[in-house]
Amino acid sequence: MRGKRSLIAIQMTAQRKRLIYLAFISLALGAAIVSQAALLAEAVQRIFVERASFSSVALLLGILLVVMAIRTLLSYGNGTVGLQMAATAKKNMRAAVLQNFTFASMPSSLRGQTGGKVSMALDAVDEADSYFSQYMPRMVETVMIPILILVVTFTQHAHSGIIMLVTAPFIPIFMILVGLKTKNKSEEKYAQLAEFAGTFLDSLQGLVTLKIFGRARRQQQEIERSSLRYRDATMDILKIAFTNTLMLESIVMLSIGIVALELAIQLLVFQSMSFHTAFFVLLLVPEFYSLLKSSGTAFHNGRTSMGAIRKVETMLADTNDRNDPKDQPVALPTFPKKWFPMPPSIELDNVRFQYAPDSFELNTGSITIGPGDHIALVGHSGSGKTTLLHLIAGLLKPASGTILVNGNPLTPQNETTWFEHISYITQHPYIFAGTFADNIAIGAGRKVTRAEIEVAAADAGLSKVVSQLEQGFDTPVGEGGRGLSGGEKQRLALARAFLKRPSLILFDEPTVGLDLHTEGILQRSIATLAKSATMITAAHRLYTIRHADNILIMDHGVLAGSGHHDELMKRLPAYAEMVDVQRKGVPG
Amino acid sequence: MNELAILSQAMIRERKDIILSILGGFVAGIAGVVLFSTSGYLISQTVFEPPLYTLIVLTSLVKLLGLLRAVSRYGERIYSHRATFSMLSRLRSSFFAKLIPLTPGILNKNRSGDLLARIVGDVESLQHYFLRVAYPPIIVVMVFLTTMLATASFSFWMACLMLLGMLGTVLVVPGIVLLGYRKINGHVRKQRALLSTEVTEVLYGFRDLKVYGQLAQREQQLRQASAALAVEQQREAGHLLRGQSMHAFVTYLISWGVLALGAYLISDGTLAGVYLAMLVMASLTVFEEAAAMATLPAYKQDSEHAAKRLTEEVLTPTLQPLQPSRTLNADHAVSIELSGVSFQYEGEWRPALKSLSLQIPPGSKTAIVGPSGSGKSTLMELLLKLRTPTAGDLRLSGISVQELEESSIWKTANVVLQQSHFFRGTIRDNLLIDGEDHSDGDLLDILAKVQLPTTSLTDPVYEKGENLSDGEKQRLALARAMLRNGKLWLLDEPTSSLDYVTEQRVLTHLYEQASEDTLLLICHRLNGLEGMDKIVVMEQGRVIETGSYSELMEQNGYFYKMKQMELQLIGEAH
Repeated sequence: MRGKRSLIAIQMTAQRKRLIYLAFISLALGAAIVSQAALLAEAVQRIFVERASFSSVALLLGILLVVMAIRTLLSYGNGTVGLQMAATAKKNMRAAVLQNFTFASMPSSLRGQTGGKVSMALDAVDEADSYFSQYMPRMVETVMIPILILVVTFTQHAHSGIIMLVTAPFIPIFMILVGLKTKNKSEEKYAQLAEFAGTFLDSLQGLVTLKIFGRARRQQQEIERSSLRYRDATMDILKIAFTNTLMLESIVMLSIGIVALELAIQLLVFQSMSFHTAFFVLLLVPEFYSLLKSSGTAFHNGRTSMGAIRKVETMLADTNDRNDPKDQPVALPTFPKKWFPMPPSIELDNVRFQYAPDSFELNTGSITIGPGDHIALVGHSGSGKTTLLHLIAGLLKPASGTILVNGNPLTPQNETTWFEHISYITQHPYIFAGTFADNIAIGAGRKVTRAEIEVAAADAGLSKVVSQLEQGFDTPVGEGGRGLSGGEKQRLALARAFLKRPSLILFDEPTVGLDLHTEGILQRSIATLAKSATMITAAHRLYTIRHADNILIMDHGVLAGSGHHDELMKRLPAYAEMVDVQRKGVPG
Repeated sequence: MNELAILSQAMIRERKDIILSILGGFVAGIAGVVLFSTSGYLISQTVFEPPLYTLIVLTSLVKLLGLLRAVSRYGERIYSHRATFSMLSRLRSSFFAKLIPLTPGILNKNRSGDLLARIVGDVESLQHYFLRVAYPPIIVVMVFLTTMLATASFSFWMACLMLLGMLGTVLVVPGIVLLGYRKINGHVRKQRALLSTEVTEVLYGFRDLKVYGQLAQREQQLRQASAALAVEQQREAGHLLRGQSMHAFVTYLISWGVLALGAYLISDGTLAGVYLAMLVMASLTVFEEAAAMATLPAYKQDSEHAAKRLTEEVLTPTLQPLQPSRTLNADHAVSIELSGVSFQYEGEWRPALKSLSLQIPPGSKTAIVGPSGSGKSTLMELLLKLRTPTAGDLRLSGISVQELEESSIWKTANVVLQQSHFFRGTIRDNLLIDGEDHSDGDLLDILAKVQLPTTSLTDPVYEKGENLSDGEKQRLALARAMLRNGKLWLLDEPTSSLDYVTEQRVLTHLYEQASEDTLLLICHRLNGLEGMDKIVVMEQGRVIETGSYSELMEQNGYFYKMKQMELQLIGEAH
């Protein structure tokens, strides 16, 4: 973490003004609580003890009503400040998380599950809410108001004050004990709990399998049984918590009882105090304890919240360490002339890359790709073809070595400009929620006319597909829209490329799964696109490989050889074997 | 609230715990009210200088009440939580039972994982319904009414004031809060779903967005969506906070009313002054019991939303017709006959199968090949009666599938699905899933046949088989199928993750076992199909070619071209 300040501290400093508001409102709230009790006591004193007439206490009652209204407003105000703090904090935290996502380079976006990340941006940040909206206002109140009440009680009747002072510490002590004990117990039972809780989802996910194996009905009983075991395990934990609450409430009750008894004795035996004072103290005492108790609940919520904040913090720190976004200045606004001509030549000079320490390492050695060359990357799956494509695209940063484009190094500073000139067509292009036309237009990076989109779609062989859709180009696709087949998605990605007219095409050739028609279109369209571009293909087809200007053979992350097809067949037995393996595999 | 009908059933079954928790809550509430009003009375009494012993009796009463309150509160908590968790277990199993006939029908091809996770989450959130919505008002009303009755013995008008307070806190304030809350809550949900979708898009589409230079713009969009969400959430919380403040003010107002009315009645001479402090204290405490009412609207909305979604998703789809009683003869190989079978997934815009006709004689071996999305797996699900054809007739051994009892099909079929599910447990548990007894020797024998000789029966399997590789999962699924004695083999890409040599070894054992049976193999590789009786080539939901391997190769048609293309692939096999 390099001694960075915690996320909570940063948020708190940013919101110092609101904390001061909270303190002032809490002070006023304390004053209102004390005044309310004083006025109530005074009213009862006058009516009951002094037998004053109704009209003579009318003013007093009026003031009391006003104080009650003020008290309501003040606690509403405190709540509102808390909500504002929470809203700002959540907005800031989420912005940091989102920035982290979008600035992240490929490795961190490959690592980690998408579901977990989405939950980080939504759930974890939302969980942080109660720290600011509940915990902070309550804590400020707890610091100010009970002390105020205590001071007032001391001025009225020191004995009661002493009783309160002595008993009060038991409350936080018990709260902490409850927290610790239940935490231990739940950690002890954690695995058990997780197992029971997971059974339901696990069974739902496997329902089809269960049905086919005739086990579904039996599993239903298993679910109920495991749920009941979950209940029993949870109840064990809850019992501890409830027992401690029982103790806590007994302490509070006992304390109030002692204060009441002491007041009565003072009143009756020593006759040293007025009814007014006694009733006043008796009204203040429950307020005092209930504030302490509610701070306990807030403390509990706060801890859960803090856990969520820490999770976000760890995630931010973790990825920042790998690629500090602050090290990446904004891209140059103007296009560096020296990058021309296009299509570019590309040189890789001892580029090394590793996803994680002691994982697979890519080490390219020296590779030169001439302008307009069509290169085939060949190798078993896992040999580093895709990693190499990512490096050349600038999606991954080499650990060492340089990538030169027309002799100029590719750096994060000029990546935006670089991206304007490349297209990367994968086997699984992503279709965004939007219309068919929107999805193609993404490729252009500028405003494009419908006519341009239609031409690109036609070039990619999509005209027929679009004509089958009832809303044509305006049909929603992607999440929540029409489902597209794998071949249609790939053609859509091609249409994006036709709009962009890239100078460098990176292409991960489809292996299997496309119908012959789509295959044909893909081959033709790619050939058209590649006429005016440098193209690097992770090749799976002999056809592509035979026609490549140069073949790069990848093996376990290193370049095992390069050259033309015929040349390699003669020179490299491993290559000949690879080309032949499919045919050998066929028996007979 | 007919959406919550499922809950009431579960609640009725837990009535004992429910009654005990209500009783506990009631006693705790009343004890609290009596406790504080007694202390008020106690203080007032001192003015008249009563004998000391009355005082001692009163204070001990106060302490006893305090203890009683704490103990009954403890009981309430224990019983209410127990009831809640018991209900949850019943809900889970009853939802599971309801989902059995609906699966996989309610799962669309995409996002099925989300739906299941959501069902789990929604059932969980129903737990709050009892704990926070259903029973607290009962206790509050009971405590209020009792306090009111007690108050009535001192003053009728005071009792009326209490009634007013009860109506205010139990009905009016929660009602007002709920009124606007539904709409705001809807906004929050919508905004949250929007942000979630957008974040997911950015993460999934990261590479495309980056290359197309759209990331900065997307981040801007995300920030806006996030800010909008924060605003909506603040509005929502603000609304609830206003409700709480309203609740607090009603509480103060009633206590104030008790005081003012008391003042009037005392000066009027109709109420003894000594009761004033007692009544004020009683009114202050009785409202403390009603504090739970302030948070009720949020929980009510939450559980209603969950219940509604569950009813829509799980309970609304038309219930399956009564199970027909015809069964498949398990001793003979099965013939398969399709005539004009079409199928369209709900919400999809084009049919997955278009008027498919196919004859598969008993004991024959058939392979189905074709590009992904051509309808191969759908066909398999129709054969297993997991889905019902939109049109056409599907017969097994001459009996229409509609007339067949589904479990009899499953008993006859040895199935390997494309995505086999593995449960948390051991390898043995997962092999013995169909509940039949097999000796460890048999199991190990099968494991050896599927080329998993080193796997131990006691090896752990994590949820969804997360600790197994794709190849291991496929081989275990094959072992699971081979342990059964069905005469119909339905295999959906069972070896796609295996290398060629292993694949051939496994399949040799399988073919040996299935020599007399009908076998249907869906595959994406065209290797080793020479021995098949028939190969069916599918594209876009249609059969476009059928014939034996040599026939199809001679035809020089689609299959031939697919084969040529496959021969061109290099570097894939290991």
